[in-house]
Amino acid sequence: MKWATRASIHIDRAACAWLIRRHVDPGAEFVFVCDPAEMPAGATPFDMRGVELGHHSGDCSFETILRRYDLTDPVLWRIAAIVHEADLDDERYDAPEAPGFDVALRGLSMTCDDTQILAVTGPIFDGLYEYHRRAMLLGREPA
Amino acid sequence: MWRKLKRLGIAQISDGLVALPADARTREQLEWIADEVIEAGGAAGIWLARPAALAQERDLAAGMAAARAEEYRAVLAQATEALATDEATRTVTAQRLRAELRRIARRDYFPPPERGHARAAVQDLFDDAAAEQEAVVQQGEEQP
Repeated sequence: MKWATRASIHIDRAACAWLIRRHVDPGAEFVFVCDPAEMPAGATPFDMRGVELGHHSGDCSFETILRRYDLTDPVLWRIAAIVHEADLDDERYDAPEAPGFDVALRGLSMTCDDTQILAVTGPIFDGLYEYHRRAMLLGREPA
Repeated sequence: MWRKLKRLGIAQISDGLVALPADARTREQLEWIADEVIEAGGAAGIWLARPAALAQERDLAAGMAAARAEEYRAVLAQATEALATDEATRTVTAQRLRAELRRIARRDYFPPPERGHARAAVQDLFDDAAAEQEAVVQQGEEQP
């Protein structure tokens, strides 16, 4: 399936792309558009203004996708807290990782194009998932 | 809604009209807030605008800098006040003020000189608490 989002991606779009590929559509193809009018036919838009998979009632797009696709995995919701704070910084969650992710993604946007950013951040989100999965199983910070 | 806009450090131009320096982040944040207003049945739009006169642009920037300066002064005052408290209170206050500095810095587009003073005062508070802790540890070691 084709998925489309705004070009020059930041934390929310990078995390959404990872989430879509891992938990919604393993064969996902991503298109980055500068103007919503350039949206390719048949593509599902996310993290764009006025679309279903965007920000709603204070949720960032990552949280919206979790709700829309009934993804209730608590590890994904822990990652949602980090993405939310890195994106919106409104202190809804306690996510000390957020400022680091925000800076890392802003820096990447200066040196990489969007496809490269997805290639770089995919394994980071995989690792973040594994870290928080183990933390939840152990009930403490994993080694 | 206003709380969200305040957090972004907007300059209020008139009723219902606010401004931020244009960059990818400020624009995106304003767009999401505009969408929220529309979703709630209100009307909102984002314009990329340029003041016709340089003086007006300077006034806007000066206004934003003055608002941040006031926030930095409040941090500075709290840090100074905390110097007279016990070590535990100093540490807790230093941590809280450091988080507050980070929040202010996120909306500080035209950093005023007060930023440096506030940062130094908070760092002093940390150093002061750390030095006292070290002194206490040394004292403990000296005792047989």
